[in-house]
Amino acid sequence: MTDSLTLPHPAMASGVPSSVPPGPGLPRLLPDAGTVPVDLRAHLATHGPLRAAGGGDGLLREVAAAGLTGRGGAAFPVARKLAAAAEVRPAPVVAGNGAEGEPASSKDRSLLWLSPHLVLDGLQLAAGAVGSRSAVLYVPRNERLHIRLAGAIAERAAAGMDAASVELVTAPDRFLAGEESALVSRLAGRPALPAYRPVRGLPRLAPGRAALVQNVETLAHLALIGRYGAAWFREAGTEAEPGTMLATLHLADGRTSVTEVPLGTSLAGLLGLDGGPGPAEAGAAGPGVPSAFGPVQAVLVGGYHGAWLPAAAAALPLANAALRPLGAAVGAGVLAALPADRCGLAETARVARYLALESAGQCGPCFNGLPRIAAAMAHLAGPRPDPRARADLERWAGLVTGRGACHHPDGSVRFIRSALRVFAAETGLHEQGRCSGTDPRPFLPVPATSPATEEDWS
Amino acid sequence: MTGITSSTALWYASRATGVVTLLLLTAVVLLGILVNRQGRLPGLPGFAVTGLHRNVSLLAVAFLAIHVVTAIADPYVTIGLAAAVLPFASAYKPIWLGLGAISLDLVAALILTSLARARMSRRAWRAIHWLGYAAWPLAVVHSIGSSADARSGLVLGVLVACVLATVAALAWRLSQAAREIPRAGRAAAALNRMSARKAGLR
Repeated sequence: MTDSLTLPHPAMASGVPSSVPPGPGLPRLLPDAGTVPVDLRAHLATHGPLRAAGGGDGLLREVAAAGLTGRGGAAFPVARKLAAAAEVRPAPVVAGNGAEGEPASSKDRSLLWLSPHLVLDGLQLAAGAVGSRSAVLYVPRNERLHIRLAGAIAERAAAGMDAASVELVTAPDRFLAGEESALVSRLAGRPALPAYRPVRGLPRLAPGRAALVQNVETLAHLALIGRYGAAWFREAGTEAEPGTMLATLHLADGRTSVTEVPLGTSLAGLLGLDGGPGPAEAGAAGPGVPSAFGPVQAVLVGGYHGAWLPAAAAALPLANAALRPLGAAVGAGVLAALPADRCGLAETARVARYLALESAGQCGPCFNGLPRIAAAMAHLAGPRPDPRARADLERWAGLVTGRGACHHPDGSVRFIRSALRVFAAETGLHEQGRCSGTDPRPFLPVPATSPATEEDWS
Repeated sequence: MTGITSSTALWYASRATGVVTLLLLTAVVLLGILVNRQGRLPGLPGFAVTGLHRNVSLLAVAFLAIHVVTAIADPYVTIGLAAAVLPFASAYKPIWLGLGAISLDLVAALILTSLARARMSRRAWRAIHWLGYAAWPLAVVHSIGSSADARSGLVLGVLVACVLATVAALAWRLSQAAREIPRAGRAAAALNRMSARKAGLR
């Protein structure tokens, strides 16, 4: 964590209506101590009992005023999703999505481990807002986490706190397991594979049985908005993108941490980069911008469906308004500072191979196209690649975009195309038989196993 | 009739576009079988075959539209708009034109469901797409029945070639059905293929 995070946000000094207890400072979601999980007693001592501001419709209005967006990556306005779900009869199943298939992200796991009751509060609020009595918490397959969450759910049920029953469902350890339609498929008792989803309306488990899916961090924010209101929520973040978000940081020295940051915080500050370099360096990965954790050549924003940016772009804030013009997005808050001594092409090729193998094997353009693209990327990462390979990659990338049931091909191609832009100079070096990477150790985390049977998705 | 005059132009146009449509529809069926079995064409990546299948089918629809419109507009025989889409509603060669009308309707269903594919369930789309196997033979029989030209000479040769190619592709498709890769292994199998042909980037 950087120092700025432990300081109260400047906006916190402003007055809060006296009828409402002052909301927590930063961090909001994770306990101050950082590593000690919050049990039910401590949770109630800090936040008091669950409250929905205004009750019923009041919560919807409050969430709309807060401008909360989904923290699973898509940043969809939560109020709109809740309002749509409230119209659906019979009431939808409310699902908290903590699958976090992205290997580079661990913020949902951390949140579930450290602050389970905020997530469970949010799940109850969302269920109450849409009139549902049935909720599901979808979590990674991890025995310790499972035991803790089952205990927390049982403890709340015994105390009679919750109106909606909560069921724990485990997600397979797959990249796409947290995709909304994959989650819905898993809840319906099928393998957790993505499907074509309705263009409008909620996804359905079965005819007449819709699901409202929200990321677990989104639910935790919802729990706090219910208690402290929209004005408090907006004290952090930017006007257009209010609030805080959990980010998983991969620093240039190889360390990883989960931290809570207000949206709009500069990437450079989060990754310990020293100021912004001159505009001359913008556009491509340079020899390395110094950081507190070693020189950095490029920054990965938004994880493996995100985009590489040159280190010069780290002067930008963590906000979609600033990142979208560069083809990047905040996503689920994965930020990685690639050290100057690694080969960006080799890193991209490793991840591209992983993404190809994680294809669900359902849509031809994905399961034929991504392996071909990954093989070409590996070719580029090797010595003296065919100079035509770059153009081939671009062409194939165009052929798979928008051609899947889910966004796996689109996201994977966004990531690979950004590497071709940012590491263009490195590609030139490889064509001459050289490589600027001196450290062959992998930097970005990639799981070793890939799906082999249908059971790997259930 | 000898030569193209203002009174025969529509007739010739309708005949010619009919033949071209049949050729294109045959290509669509062949490419569709290739897509379904993850087959390849020399010089094309596997997934580009899917794009070709789609684009050729749209081209076929364009020719089919001209074929139908010119047949309706041609004053030599009276074929109403209704007869073009409603089976057996035509006074002229009701059976043969009726089969063409059914084929036209099926093709329209295929195209419309494919354009709306993202908005419908995969299962329903697949079920309707299977109708392609009915639309093609109907079109062939329609060609033979409604046109005397198709019973001899060059046009007959084209027809026979189309039928032979489709039958061969179908036989190949059935022989391939037994060797289907389960979806869990598809990406890995493709990646292995790519690694095996390391230098074969093109």
